[in-house]
Amino acid sequence: MGESRSVLYFVGPAFLLLILVLGFPAMAAVLQSFELLWVPEAGFSLANYQRLVTDPGFHKAFANTAVYVSCVVAFHMSLGLGAALLLNADIPGKWLFRVAAILPWTIPDVIGGIVWRFMFDTLPGFVNGALLRMALVDQPLEWLGHPKLAMFSLIVAEGWRGYPFIMLILLAGLQAIPQHLYEAAAVDGANRWHCFRYITLPSLKKMFMIALVLDVIWECRLFGMVYSMTGGGPGNATEVISIMTYRQYFEYYNNGYAAAIAVALALLMLAVSTPYLRMSMREER
Amino acid sequence: MMRFHRPFPAATGTFPRLCAALTLGFSLFAGAPAAAQSKVTLVYSDWHLSEPVWNRSLQEAMADFQKANPDIKVELEPVALGQRDVRYSTALRAKRGPDVFTLDVNPIQQFIQRGWVMDLTPFIQKESGGLEQWKSDFYPRALDVVSSKGKVYGVPKTLVPMMLFYNTKMFADAGLAKPPANWDEFRDAARALTKSRSGSGPVDQWGTTIVLAPAGFDLRFSVFLRGFGADLLKPDYSASALDTPEAKKAFNFIVDLIRKDGVMPPGVAQVDANGARQLLATQRIGMAFESAWAHPIIADINPQLDAWNTLKLAPVPSDQPIRSTLHLKSLFINPNTDHPEQAWKLVKFLTDRAQMQRWFDDNNLLSARKSVNAEYKAIRENDNAALMASELERAAFMPLTPKWPEINEAFRQNLQAAVAGSKSTDQALRDAHAQINQIIAR
Repeated sequence: MGESRSVLYFVGPAFLLLILVLGFPAMAAVLQSFELLWVPEAGFSLANYQRLVTDPGFHKAFANTAVYVSCVVAFHMSLGLGAALLLNADIPGKWLFRVAAILPWTIPDVIGGIVWRFMFDTLPGFVNGALLRMALVDQPLEWLGHPKLAMFSLIVAEGWRGYPFIMLILLAGLQAIPQHLYEAAAVDGANRWHCFRYITLPSLKKMFMIALVLDVIWECRLFGMVYSMTGGGPGNATEVISIMTYRQYFEYYNNGYAAAIAVALALLMLAVSTPYLRMSMREER
Repeated sequence: MMRFHRPFPAATGTFPRLCAALTLGFSLFAGAPAAAQSKVTLVYSDWHLSEPVWNRSLQEAMADFQKANPDIKVELEPVALGQRDVRYSTALRAKRGPDVFTLDVNPIQQFIQRGWVMDLTPFIQKESGGLEQWKSDFYPRALDVVSSKGKVYGVPKTLVPMMLFYNTKMFADAGLAKPPANWDEFRDAARALTKSRSGSGPVDQWGTTIVLAPAGFDLRFSVFLRGFGADLLKPDYSASALDTPEAKKAFNFIVDLIRKDGVMPPGVAQVDANGARQLLATQRIGMAFESAWAHPIIADINPQLDAWNTLKLAPVPSDQPIRSTLHLKSLFINPNTDHPEQAWKLVKFLTDRAQMQRWFDDNNLLSARKSVNAEYKAIRENDNAALMASELERAAFMPLTPKWPEINEAFRQNLQAAVAGSKSTDQALRDAHAQINQIIAR
């Protein structure tokens, strides 16, 4: 009895905090999405979810999010793995390269977005300046004014900013692989590719899964980079779900609809994280 | 034996007198902090505080107000135009926010509908002459914007129409003798101004620009629509009015200027109001739709340009009865303020005749008070001001509906899509029309 009470004392504050910072806003969003909270005439309604299903704006934002997240995550995974492999090698001054590689991660996404916006600016931008100087183009490209180029620019910018996170996870995974596995493989005549294919990649499987799930969740929620670079434009070519939610809530004051979009995004995130949760629970058992 | 001293030197006749003196002293002393504590602090927020020219002018006005009202301290809170509505609405929802703040036309009806601005009618009724006399000095159209169901929620401050700003030097260099008087002339002038300044090499000077980024979009695109005899919504705001041949003409005209004629700088999709003024200030473009505030701002950006003399004003090049858009800046009081009386004092001060004259002297802006525009000598004797004043009658506000921000954004996104080429102009206009009707029907 005494022991269970002390457990309650230890767990209680954290549980309470979780309820306050996570449970309450989540519940408020769900209630708002059904028009049950903070509306002039409260009453259960599915109208916001019906609108979600039929709104071409939401479909477009969903498609944009899917393209953006899959490209950025693929970018992060490949760049992160490459950087992790390089930094895991025994090279002089390794710590310096590690610090340099992690720098983009330290930049807030809004600042990163503004910097890349200047880089991709049509007239005075660095990218167009370099391309024109090298005579690779004869007219400045509308990096942020053309729908496909704008999405591409965003993917490059966020790919650069976010890869260190994946790199760190995979680097930790690489350092946990026992060296004797490689030594045994070498004795068996395995070359570098064989070692990578049959030792490194399988050993990193769990780390890949963690990195993938966390990165997908992170990128689905990303707001600052997109907002500061394109604001969702041109047109709605780069309007992702987080930007749409913001607009509906803060600019159009459609609180219920914004809450419904947020709930839909949360459910999607829950579905994405299910494999990771299953894996963790299986291991705990 | 211990001896106890008396607590006071004289317990006889002196003691009561001393007590009385001390009591009086304490009461006087206690009165001093009470007076200091009664000094009220008001927070005044304005997007113009983040712009150097306006900031100077507002700082001076606030210093004058505090001098005249030593019991009120005013704290200034700048806010960026693009962030203004989000900042205010978030704070006001949480029953916080500045005591006094300013808005332009777009969000006012929403703020009124949601109870985010105080009803000022009781204050106005207490003014000498009452509500009707107070109202009589303001342009009725300006009062309509800040009123709802017979109640007045804001005090109009400055009122200006959108005008065509053109660079006389660049016009002369391009062999253009006068500003365009119709849309064909506008297009020809834009083509003539678009060239390489060095004579050879890539184009580095363009005819004009449009604002396609959110900040300042509605004031500028609407000029094209209205100049072609179209409008965004039907007069009763019941439906989109983009299904007319005039709307199609205007829409195609904007897109063609960018895509076919190439008379706007590359990257026009990202140009906002400040960007457009930068392009005018650096003589990268020869003309743009702006309003009176552009003169002091551009003069501040590039003093070498001699903006006051180089940039001239002309009416929107159209003979339509309504061919331009009005901009109104008004003052509002937070319904949750702890100091409504002092806030009203500040609002009254900033919108009185003397301050209205200051806004013209410092910022080139006409007053929302008819008497100031009619009687203030500096306004009467200024050619630009006279031209603007005459254009007030040929300009209208953007639709006064709470759904305006969403309607405006639907149109902007489709226009941007047409400019970017991801939709044909016909498709983009059809989509904008359908989306706006959906928004209205909801």
